[in-house]
Order: sequence, then C-alpha cells, then structure tokens
Amino acid sequence: MRISVRQICFIMVAYTAATKLLIYPTMLSWFCDGAIIFPALINFIVCGAVIWALSFLCSKTDKTFFGLLQNTFGEIGARIVYGFFAVFFLFAALLPIFEQKQYVHNIFYDTVPPLGVFMPFFIFAAYAASRKFGNIGRCADICLPIFAGTMFLLFIMAFSDVKADDFLPMFSVPATTIFSTAARTAFNFVEPCWLLMFMGHFKYKKGDAAKITLSYAAGAAIVILFLALFHGIYGPIAPSRTFAVARISLFFPAIETMGRIDLILLYVLEVVMLFAVVINLQLAVHAIAKCSGFENYVIISLATNAVFAIILFIFDSRYNAIVTLYSQWLWIAFIVFTVLVPALAWTLRRRTR
Amino acid sequence: MKRKFNPGTVLAVIYWLIFIALAGLFFTNDFGLVDIHKTSIITAIGIDMEEREVQVTAEVAVPQPSQSGENIKYTQVQGSGLTIADALNEINAKTGFYPKLQFCKLILVGESCMDTELFQVLGCFYRKNYSELTALVAMCEGKASDMLANKSGVSQMTSEAIRKVLSDESEKSANSSSASLKKIATSEYSYSHSCYMPYVQVSKPGTSQNGGNGDNVGGESPDGSGGGNGENGGGGGSSGGGAGESGQSGSSGGDAGGAGQSGEVEFTARKTAYFSRGDFKGILDEQQSFALDVLKSELRVAVLPCNADDIHYTLGLKSVKSKIKLSVEKSVPQVKISVSAKAQIQGARVKVEPKKVIRDDVIPSYVLDSAKKVLVSRVSSLLAACRESDCDLLGLKDQLYKFHRKNYDELNAELLTRAEVTYDVKIESVT
Repeated sequence: MRISVRQICFIMVAYTAATKLLIYPTMLSWFCDGAIIFPALINFIVCGAVIWALSFLCSKTDKTFFGLLQNTFGEIGARIVYGFFAVFFLFAALLPIFEQKQYVHNIFYDTVPPLGVFMPFFIFAAYAASRKFGNIGRCADICLPIFAGTMFLLFIMAFSDVKADDFLPMFSVPATTIFSTAARTAFNFVEPCWLLMFMGHFKYKKGDAAKITLSYAAGAAIVILFLALFHGIYGPIAPSRTFAVARISLFFPAIETMGRIDLILLYVLEVVMLFAVVINLQLAVHAIAKCSGFENYVIISLATNAVFAIILFIFDSRYNAIVTLYSQWLWIAFIVFTVLVPALAWTLRRRTR
Repeated sequence: MKRKFNPGTVLAVIYWLIFIALAGLFFTNDFGLVDIHKTSIITAIGIDMEEREVQVTAEVAVPQPSQSGENIKYTQVQGSGLTIADALNEINAKTGFYPKLQFCKLILVGESCMDTELFQVLGCFYRKNYSELTALVAMCEGKASDMLANKSGVSQMTSEAIRKVLSDESEKSANSSSASLKKIATSEYSYSHSCYMPYVQVSKPGTSQNGGNGDNVGGESPDGSGGGNGENGGGGGSSGGGAGESGQSGSSGGDAGGAGQSGEVEFTARKTAYFSRGDFKGILDEQQSFALDVLKSELRVAVLPCNADDIHYTLGLKSVKSKIKLSVEKSVPQVKISVSAKAQIQGARVKVEPKKVIRDDVIPSYVLDSAKKVLVSRVSSLLAACRESDCDLLGLKDQLYKFHRKNYDELNAELLTRAEVTYDVKIESVT
C-alpha cells in the first residue's frame, strides 16, 4: 500500500504542528522563559535538515529503509534495527497518549470524568494502527483542511491579547539554556522517523525533496507562531498554563458574551490531534511486523493497544513522572533515532549486492 | 445471485457500532452527566480573612424548575479554611457540585485581605487550571461577603451588577480599571512586580455625591452615613482651578430613603487598589485612577472636567493615545509621558445657546490649556503615589529590563525616585 508525496507533505504540515500544541509550549516556557522560540527553532532546523537529507536520499533509491538495511546488514540486521524502531515508536506514542488523556479530561469536561471515557481512543487507535500506509495518507488528506481551518480561526482569536514586548530582551537567556532546552524537549520531534518509514513507499519525482522539506517548514512556522502567541498572551505566567491550545483564545472579546465558542474549534482540532498521535502507533505496528516477520497488522495492533490501555490504567496518576522521564533521560534516545539514524541512512548500501 | 455470509463484514459493522457508541463517551460526559436542576454553579466569589483563615463567600446560581422566565435563584454560600481550596471544598460539599470554577466570572477581595500577600490569597486560581484566568478581580470596601449580599436594581445577580461597573466598556471610558486574574498576574510577575485592581464601593441608589466634578460617582453609603467618597472630591485635581467645588448634586432625600429601604444599592469602581510584590500599598483616588486608565488602557471616550475663565467645562476626550517612554541618559532615567486626544465640549456651566452649540467641537485654546493642566496634574499625582509607595504601576522597571538591560541592575532599585519626568500632552479640538 503506497502513500503519495502530497499526503506526506500534508502529514508534515498538520501532524508536525498538531503534536506540539499541548504541553510543549508550557515546557519550553518553564525551561527558558521568554526565549521560548529559540529552542524550537533549533529543533526544527535540525529536523528540517534531516528531512531534506532523507527526502533527497529518496531521489537516489527506490528502496525502503528496511530494504536498505537488508542490503547493508542482511535480513537479521534489518530486523534488529526495525525492532529498535518499534520500541522507539512505542515510546514516541506513549507520552502523547497520556497528554491527550489529560487534555480531554481537563478541557472537555467540567467535572472529573472516569478514566473509562478515554478508553474508546484505543478502539480507534487499534483500528487505525491495523491499516497500512495508504490509510495514513488518506487520513492526512482529511486532516489538513480541518487543521488549517481551525488553526486559522484560533490564531485570529488569539491575536487580540498579545503583548509583543514580552519577548524582550531577545537574547537575555544564555545560549547553554537554549541548547539544553532544545535537547530536553527533543522528544517532541519524531518527524524524520516518519519519513524514514515512508521511504520507498512513495514514488519520488523531481522536486519532491523541496516539497516535503517546505511542508515541514510550514508546519514549523505554524508552531513558532503558536509559541509566539502563547508567550505573548501569558508572558511570565506561561509556565503555569498547560494545554496551550485551549488557552490562547480565551481572551477573544466575543467569548465574554457568547461563551466558549472556541471549544467547537478545539473539538474539531482534536480529530487531527488524535490522528497525529496515532501515526506513531501505526508506524510502531509496521516496525513490529517487519521485525517479527508476522505481518498480521490487526493482531499486532490489538495487542499493542491493549498493552497501552493497561499502561495508561496503571500509570494514570504518574503523568508528571513520565514527563520527567522523557525530559531527563529519553530525549537522548530521541535525538539518536530522529537525527543520527536518519542521517546515517545515507551511508547504507543502495545497490543490491 | 445469493450473497455469501461474510463474517469479516459483520465484525467490521459491529466494530464500528461499538466505536460510534463509545465515541459518544469520548466527546460528551454521558456517564457523568449532571442534572442541572439538582446542582448549582458558582458565579462569583468573595474572599475575606478571618483570624488567618480564609472565608470564601460564593454567589451560587441555583437553577429552578420553572415554566416562567425567572428560573434561576441566586444565593450565597460560605465556607472557610486555611486555603481557598479548603473553603471551596466546604462550599461544594454544601452545593453538591465538583469544585471547578469555570463559570466564576468575578472574584472580590475584601478589605480584610489587605494585610495578606495577594497571590497567597489568590494562588488557588492559578493552580492546575482551577479556573480560567478571564475572571475579573476587584477589591471591595468592607467585607466581600457583605458586598455580594447586597441587592442591586441593575441585575438580580449581584455579581453581574458589579461586573457591569468593571466591564471593558467602563474601562474604555476611564471609569474603572478592569483587571482579570491574568492581567494582575502578568503584571505582578513582570519586572515591575506590581499590579492594580478596581476598588468597588456601594451607595444608595438615586443618591449622588455633592461637590463632585464629574469624577465623583456615588452618594450616601447604604448605612446612611453620608457621602460615600466625598473625601476625594477634587482631591487630585489641584491645578484644575478648583474643579472640585462645583458639579453634580444628585437626587437625595425621599427617593434615596425609599431605595435604601428596599435594600438595593448601586456599585461604583472609580478608585483603584494597588499592590507591589503582592503587598497592598494603597488606594488611588478617582483622579489618579483616571490618569492610570489614560496611560494604561485603550480609551474610547473619557470625560475630563476643567475650569477655564471661571466656567466649568466637561470635555469628552476621544482617540486618546498615550505612551510612556523610558530612556537612560548618562545613568539618569528619563521618562517621557505623551498623551494625545481629541476633545469636544460635552457640558459647560453656562446657559446653552443653540446657535453656539454647533461650535462645541472647536474648543477655545484657554479651555484646552486648562484641560492639559488638569491631565498633567492627575498624572503627576499618580506618579507621586507610585514614588511614595515604591510601586511601579506604569511598568517602568519592566521597560528598563526589556529595553535597557545593561542599566537594569544599576537603576532598578531607585528608578521611580531618580526618574526625570517630562510631559507631552496634546489635546486638540475634534475638528
């Protein structure tokens, strides 16, 4: 099942941004105050460069990443690497699922709902993850217009209360803090690995590398604008405001008289966020199938989601500990998998032995 | 042709049916639906301190089953504890609603909280997204619980009547300094470490303060003790040519007495309570509050009284633009306060002549000069209050940090006292 370049571009725009609208902005302000944009820029530039390199690599070979690994390290080696990627994608999916659960419970409910109300997510995820790349692409076709429309309206609602001078002085935060923040929040950046998995599953035409990279740049620009708005609205109290996407439109004048009309947009945007969260599960299932040689996606997906549901049930109250685990230790693994490994893909043998 | 039974299709249909049913749970609160007739919603809360305990009074909207229009009853419920969360928990135990304050639009801080750090008092609202930061905050005269217990002729809901005088519109006419939870927090946690909020007072309906000059709103206090804020009449307008001597004299006597007996009151918020590093510093009078609004808010129409040629004029200021610019020259901070506005005559204590009314938009220069003097005196009075209390209401320290970072450490401590202030006030006729 193949995916088209257009769909990959849509994924790079919509999913890149949709996965960074909840805790990421709060975390950035917590780590480096007003310099919220710089660590994000660093991560986007690095990942953008890797994405360009990967998409350019696609112009040189029709092989999938698995095929390249097979060519270089043999079948066993390729399976081992895919095993590592399966684990990586599972970890990449875990935190966003916890984030989503917290977001849904906090923003969409006035009372404290039971954990069970989030469990249908896993039914949706189990179905989505059992499908192949063509399905991921079709979902992206649906998600991009939804995402563009809702974000446009949310941005309009947010502009009314932005204070531009909260970013001053521009370079007051030490460079070491900015770089360490970029590193410690690197677990929010998985996009190069998505492209790595899509390698060989789409037909490369001239100029596609530029299209994909520019799409990623567009997604990055949306996130940067979003961060700027968020910090411009909340300034020094931004580190205390979680679920940023639900906070930026609160001061729109019409909300005072009409109520939380922005919630309609947030409900719609939630659809895109769910697909963006699920893509890591979809790729994890793909990697597990390749690693194990057991190609029944349905069984793998059901098992994976069942495990995730149990993990959520057990660690529901340990959300902060999980975030700490990611920001203190797992970011290292994320940099290895999203930057080093994709960059090293160029060194893999492209010609068949 | 006979169709074959396809178990895969059946499973897929069952799967989707379950998914759709459960998706309902995801997007709604089906399992946790609350019958609105069996619960209550907190619309405002008042905070008082009682012997180191926080006493919270919640104005609660209780929906009543009714076929007529009047189907909501408002009542006050009180709780107390060491923190607001303790007190709210008690309130929610009484009202049977989960303690979230999503519908709370007003937080009144009683005078008894003056001795307690403001953000210790309000801290609860900033934690864990307990409430949205859009709720308005105000300090009130006396106890907040008493203030919320008042009845207003403006609205059945007391908090709504108070919110009307704290509204954006009121702020845009310089009649109150509207403050939300977010606004006071961003201000307090900036490099200025200061914030302000409107100060709510009550008076009997139908009464007005004598000796006013357009700034004085209010009248007899509900307990009948006379002019509610008379001590401030013309207080800040020292160069206004005795502006405080003339002005409104409102209705009183029988009407007021009648209104008083019905127990209804009117709310005003022309004064402003201000804080530095969370500590209460004082209350700005009406003229100082006006100056603060001119400098910090986006005004649409503001009323400025002034005296010229022995005649009292009431000018309407439109298109008010203000700017506070801080510069540092040879280690001396220079503050330039610029205000520009278009003015037209709204009232004058002379007999109106219909043929001259058409010229009201062309104001004589001596009237404009007098208006400028009044405005400058109000701003300087505000600055004096800031200096005296070392409270940076104008955000000068914030500007110093953002635009003159290298001078911040040197000048921060004494910025307000060392700053040399110049004014550039331009008031012109509308046409």
